[in-house]
Amino acid sequence: MFDQLFGNYLVDTKRITAEQFAEVLAVQSTVRVKLGLIAVAEKLMTMEQADEVNRLQAVMDKRFGDIAVGKGYLTEEQISAMLKKQGNIYMVFVQTLVDNNVLTLEEIEGALVDYLQDMELASADKAVLMSGNIDDIINLFLPKADEVYARVCGVAIRTIFRLIDSTARVGKAFWCGEYSTDRLAMQEMDGDMQSAIGFAGQGSCLLAIANPYAMEEFAEVDLDALDAVGELINNINGMFSSSLAKEGVETDMIPPAFYDHPVKISGKRLCVFPIFIKNDRLDFIVSIDDKLNVDKV
Amino acid sequence: MANVLIVDDSRTSRKILRTILERAGHTVVGEASNGEEGVRAFQEHKPEVVTMDVTMPVIDGVEALKMIKALRPESKVIMVTAAGKDSKVTECIKAGADEFVTKPYEDEAIINAIAKII
Repeated sequence: MFDQLFGNYLVDTKRITAEQFAEVLAVQSTVRVKLGLIAVAEKLMTMEQADEVNRLQAVMDKRFGDIAVGKGYLTEEQISAMLKKQGNIYMVFVQTLVDNNVLTLEEIEGALVDYLQDMELASADKAVLMSGNIDDIINLFLPKADEVYARVCGVAIRTIFRLIDSTARVGKAFWCGEYSTDRLAMQEMDGDMQSAIGFAGQGSCLLAIANPYAMEEFAEVDLDALDAVGELINNINGMFSSSLAKEGVETDMIPPAFYDHPVKISGKRLCVFPIFIKNDRLDFIVSIDDKLNVDKV
Repeated sequence: MANVLIVDDSRTSRKILRTILERAGHTVVGEASNGEEGVRAFQEHKPEVVTMDVTMPVIDGVEALKMIKALRPESKVIMVTAAGKDSKVTECIKAGADEFVTKPYEDEAIINAIAKII
C-alpha cells in the first residue's frame, strides 16, 4: 500500500506528474508477481489449490499466506521464502522510479522525510511503511490506544482491497463528535457490543464503492447505489461480528439505513477514517458503545 | 436444476444471487425484500428452494423460515448470512434450515448448497 500512499504524495507535492506515477505503476506491476503464482511455479501448491485460496480470500478476512497455511498447503517457512522472492513492494517502486529517471534516490529520500513529517509520523514508522505489511501500515493511520476501533477499520480496508480496489489508500483517522456528509449508508449492531459503521461521501464519491460492488454503473448516489454500499458494510460487519463471536462477544446486525440527502451525524465519539479509491475520498465512520443521531440537514 | 425464490432486503444482493443462479441453470421464480413478502411469495410460487437472508426488516429470516417450515415442512431453505454468530446458526438449525451460505457470495458455495439439498 505504501507505493500508493507515497506515489500519490509525490504527485500531490508536484515532485512527479500523475502520468509518470501511472507509468511507474504499470512497470511495477510487470515485475511484481502474485504469491499464488510463485507457489504454483515453485510446485508448492497446485493451480486448483491456489484458485481455492484465492476464492476463500474473497470471503474471508485473511491474507493468501494465512489461508494457505491454515489449509495445510504451505508452511510458515515456505511463506517467508516466497515473500522474499516476491520482493518488497516499496523497494520495487523506488527502483522503478530511479530506473525510469523519474526521481533520483536522493530526491526520493528527501520526499520520504517530508512525507513522514506531513503525516505526523515518527521516523521509526519509516520501517513499518517500507515493510509492506498492510496490517502494520494501516495501524499507523488509525486511532491509537483503541483496539476495537482499529480492528473494525482494519477489517474495512482489507475488505475494500479484496472486493473493491486493491490500490485503495488511507488517510489519517481522526475523532469528532459531529460529522456532516452529502450521502451516507450505515449499519448498527447491538447485543453485547453496540456499534455503528458506515460509509459517507460528498457528491458522487460513494459510487467508487457502489459501482464495483454491484457491477453496475449508477448515474448518481441514489437508494439503489446506497444499497450496494450497504451490502459491503454488511459484509464488513459480518466479518467483524464473526471475530467477536470467537471471543464470546455476541452481536446482532440491524438492517442497514440509507440517506440519499445531506445529514449530520452526532455522537459522543466518532472515528472518521478517510479511504481514497482512485481520486474519490470516502470516509469510513465508526462508533462503539454509543447511540448515534442522524439528522437531515 | 431448481426453481428458486430469493428473499433478501438488499436489491444488490438479490441481483448478484440471481446472476449466479441463472448462470448455473437454475430458475429464479420470484424475489422478496423481507420475511413477510418472502412467506407470501413462497405460497404463490411454490419454489423447490428458498434462499433466505437472516437480517431483514419487518420479519427477519429466522421467523420467515419457521413460517415456511410450518406451511410445508419438506420445503428446502438455505439461510444466507454475513455473520457467523453461533447462537443465530443454532436457532436456524433448530427452525429447520437445510443449508447455510455466507456473504459475500461465492458461486461454488451457493451451487453446492443447492445440489446438496435437491
